[in-house]
Amino acid sequence: MRRLNFSRFPFAALLAICAACALTGGLGACNREDPVEPGATFGDGASPAAHRPTIAFIMKTLNNPFFVDMEVGAREAAERLGVELIVQAPERELDIERQMQMVENMIQRKVDAIVITPNGSAEIIPAIVKANAAGIPVLIVDTRIDAEAAREAGAMTVTFIGSDNHEGGRIAGEFLAGRLGDRGEVAVLEGIPGHETADARLGGFKEGIAEASAVRIVASQPANWERDQGFNVAQNMLQAHPDLNAIFAANDMMALGAIEAISAAGKSRQILVVGFDATDDAREAIGAGRMLGSVAQYPAAMGSVGVEKALEAVNGAAIDEEIGTKVEMIHEANLAD
Amino acid sequence: MPGPASQDAVLTLSGVRKEFPGVLALDGVDFELRGGEVHALVGENGAGKSTLMKIISGAYRMTRGEMRMEGREVRVRNPRHAQDLGISIIYQELNLVPHLTVEENIFLGREPRTPLGLIDAGQIRSKCERLLVDLGVGISPAVRVSTLGVAEMQMVEIAKALAFEARVLIMDEPTSALTDRETETLFATITDIKSRGVSIIYISHRLEEIFRIADRATVMRDGRIVATHDVEGLSTGQLIREMVDREVNDHYPKQPAPIGSVVLGVENLRAGTRVRGVSLELRAGEVVGLAGLMGSGRTELARAIFGADPIDSGRVTIHGVDLTPSSPNAAIRAGMGFVTEDRKGEGLVLQFSVCQNVTLPAIRSMSRAGVIDRAAERAAANRAIADLHIKTPTAEAQVSNLSGGNQQKVVLSKWLGIGARVLIFDEPTRGIDVGAKIEIYTLMNKLAGEGVAILMISSDLPEVLGMSDRILVMNEGRIAGELSRAEATQEKVLALAVDPVAGAA
Amino acid sequence: MSTSRREWLLLHGRELGGIGGLILLCFGLWILTPYFLTVSNLVNVAQQTAINAIIAVGMTYVIITAGIDLSVGSILAFSGVILARALNADAPLPVALFAAIGAGAALGVVNGMLITYGRLPPFISTLGMMSVARGLALIVSDGRPISGFSESLRFLANGDLIGIPMPVVITGIVMIAGQFCLKRTWFGRYVYAIGGNEEAARLSGINITFVKVAVYGLAGALSALAAIVLTARLNSAQPTAGAMYELDAIAATVIGGSSLMGGEGSVVGTLIGALIMGVLRNGLNLLDVSSFVQQTVIGSAIIAAVLIDMAIKRRRV
Repeated sequence: MRRLNFSRFPFAALLAICAACALTGGLGACNREDPVEPGATFGDGASPAAHRPTIAFIMKTLNNPFFVDMEVGAREAAERLGVELIVQAPERELDIERQMQMVENMIQRKVDAIVITPNGSAEIIPAIVKANAAGIPVLIVDTRIDAEAAREAGAMTVTFIGSDNHEGGRIAGEFLAGRLGDRGEVAVLEGIPGHETADARLGGFKEGIAEASAVRIVASQPANWERDQGFNVAQNMLQAHPDLNAIFAANDMMALGAIEAISAAGKSRQILVVGFDATDDAREAIGAGRMLGSVAQYPAAMGSVGVEKALEAVNGAAIDEEIGTKVEMIHEANLAD
Repeated sequence: MPGPASQDAVLTLSGVRKEFPGVLALDGVDFELRGGEVHALVGENGAGKSTLMKIISGAYRMTRGEMRMEGREVRVRNPRHAQDLGISIIYQELNLVPHLTVEENIFLGREPRTPLGLIDAGQIRSKCERLLVDLGVGISPAVRVSTLGVAEMQMVEIAKALAFEARVLIMDEPTSALTDRETETLFATITDIKSRGVSIIYISHRLEEIFRIADRATVMRDGRIVATHDVEGLSTGQLIREMVDREVNDHYPKQPAPIGSVVLGVENLRAGTRVRGVSLELRAGEVVGLAGLMGSGRTELARAIFGADPIDSGRVTIHGVDLTPSSPNAAIRAGMGFVTEDRKGEGLVLQFSVCQNVTLPAIRSMSRAGVIDRAAERAAANRAIADLHIKTPTAEAQVSNLSGGNQQKVVLSKWLGIGARVLIFDEPTRGIDVGAKIEIYTLMNKLAGEGVAILMISSDLPEVLGMSDRILVMNEGRIAGELSRAEATQEKVLALAVDPVAGAA
Repeated sequence: MSTSRREWLLLHGRELGGIGGLILLCFGLWILTPYFLTVSNLVNVAQQTAINAIIAVGMTYVIITAGIDLSVGSILAFSGVILARALNADAPLPVALFAAIGAGAALGVVNGMLITYGRLPPFISTLGMMSVARGLALIVSDGRPISGFSESLRFLANGDLIGIPMPVVITGIVMIAGQFCLKRTWFGRYVYAIGGNEEAARLSGINITFVKVAVYGLAGALSALAAIVLTARLNSAQPTAGAMYELDAIAATVIGGSSLMGGEGSVVGTLIGALIMGVLRNGLNLLDVSSFVQQTVIGSAIIAAVLIDMAIKRRRV
């Protein structure tokens, strides 16, 4: 009867693959402005002059405007310096395993330097060790790695480039306490627990409000950096604390979620919201008076400095262990600057 | 009721050939359907009837050949196209959407629209009412199809075909699930729509129906047409001879086997609403027929004995040991087997090969340390194929490619490999051809001869009378009476099945 | 062609086709980038595929029974933090590994019991378990990653056996055992029978409850095994790990030829599906394709594989 049924899978796989190849083939070609001759990159004898340095920039994710800005800065610097730049990022910010795979793949790609914004402070360390073993310099941007774990594993990084998150949290705390008249109930939306960035911002914020003894933190819960979780957690906080005066969110995504929750509760403009990152959406909210302020970081600067320093590292220059990019409180008064 | 059919052909097929990979299903079929005739199509399962009908109704495409509708050549692209051409088919397993209403089903996909493009409910209702009244059916257009009985659903299918202005209506085993009265109603309807000039291709294994209703009959065998006859003057013997290509002298080759001690005992069994206190005994070597109307609780009794449905109270014993099964697994361990009524739904794993189906209940005992002994498995399957004359290219062929009769043999063979002491057959020969039936009866004889106790549920009274040593008749969840082989007649069985009090009197 | 050879082709045609497709994909990447077809990159891809492949073996069993398991990613996270907790409490490595696998299997068994005794649809019970296991992982870990383990654990990710990296060795063992069990044991036969026709299987004396509980338990245990490899690889167990891994596993299984309707599929097919996904991801990275486009390409590959599959099925009627 129907004897020959081996037809099922082959065609399926075949077409999927042809489709994939066609797509990637086309894109691959147009992404590489200057197709590298196989021999040029394969052979060890290629002279540095003929060899355009390739820098891989592995971001946390690209569905957050912060990292999109960072990519813009990095690409601008790459163009200026004549560097071939590869930007890759996992689909989700939590996906550390995927980030590690990307580092591994870039090692296979034999790039000259790798810049990483780690999705996990400790988890990224094995990937750094692998890059070290391959002799590729690693630069860390935005989120610090776990220094102790790095020392234990013998992971070497060239530098850390990022804003001072502790300082940012501190100025946010001072600013908010001032606007509250040094008294009131504050709730905090934390980032992903265990993240160095999240911890630094929270620690700084606590320090910033410490001098105003009548400002109390009545609730502090993680909303994992995400807007929808920010909305949900804030909504619950509003239920639990009807007299809440202000919310500090450790990033703007969560802050914007909190603003929606406040508006849904009919308490718009009664509860002050301070965020972090000063994204475009946040600036707009500040301009419209829905948000009190946000701590500006300069992700584009981090991106461009990252590429600049990576190139310096490739060329063997000495680089500072830590390079700060500035933080600044943005509010209605200085929004236009 | 052969009536005058107009002599011009509505539908002609010539030189139709259909190949499936590795199989030639139809080989040069010529077929002609005349206007306003009822044309019976008979043949054993696997003869090619279904394939031919699927080609006519657009479900398959022919490999080669030609089809003409009223003289014009047509290439049927799909079932919908066939309907547009005026060809409708009513399958054995009806093709209605249960949760839609009668009228929604009849006009499904072709709802009349108002000028605004909305479904014109008023027009649907009035058209539907007219159709149903014309058919003499008292069904409301607004009821859900799921609430209807099988016979009523069939009427809805016929109404649907007429709504498409079908000129050719194919009916595949339309009476297999109907009672006698419902069958009479169906025949009246067929006569009626025939008088409107609709031609009907009628497929049935029940030869007596063909003599009642058909004008002509075409016999198929092995993918070819054997002969086409006017039914007038035709004999049953000739039809069967042509179908099976051999003489069939005895439909029911019952051989008495020595009856031994009680194997299966059922005491006051109650399960659900359909089994209400049943006691019975089955002895080694005995074939006990279980008759009764549809809904009398026969299948439910079998399922309860086998542990397929939960039991409320009562006991089941095997060789006097209480083994009231909690699951089919327990029943099988106790030595029972159950050949289910619904082959495809409950009997077979259609993706499996013949071999894998045959050995399914026994595969664990054919394994060592969990690993299947492939040689033992293959040997068991080949033995079953040889013993039951299962027609299959190899043991590895997918069971879904086999004809109904051969599939039924596969279901049966599952229980031979485990050495069952008690076998329950539920409608073992429904919908299968004469040749396969006789092979199944022969197998029953052989099993009984080996001391297996058999309980055979059947709606086919001649079969029950012909094959049973004893007949139990069920009515409303109870055993209404028992008849010995000698005293049983169709009338007595029916009397008990319909009215236990009168029957006993 | 001899009968036995034809039968062999018939049985393994799908896998052969998949391998052919995979080779074609690799050939395409070889043309497009010099970095793809090197021994070190192929080893790299094999390691990266390991975690998805291990989970997908369990998913294959589940999908063949016509079920689905949405909780594997969360069970992975839970088993991972159990492993980390046990190691941090100075449990010997074998004990910690056993605890992790036991934890994964236990949650899988709960899935199976909800589906059989509780009569919940697999989609619902495992959807619930997805959240329960994630919550348990967060509770056990206090919501924080647990990092820093001994070399003996890290060996499971970084070590090798006669030159083959441990994750690849582990995946290989799981694949061979999984395929053997599915094709050669009565248990595997029962798995197919239940997916093909559950009622027929039950009436043939198969203990449906036992088989289903075992299958979901196996899926949980394999998620735990994947958690061990992942934890060793990252030197850290995260309660947030494994999010959406269930979808990767389902995708690998489906690309590998399993039908969500049940009764069809094989571990070898699934391995090929996982490799196709792994090679695609690796190749797209090497080619510097934007991560947005990568998602689109992989999604398209899944859809295309199933579409063609269905078209061929229809044509075969």
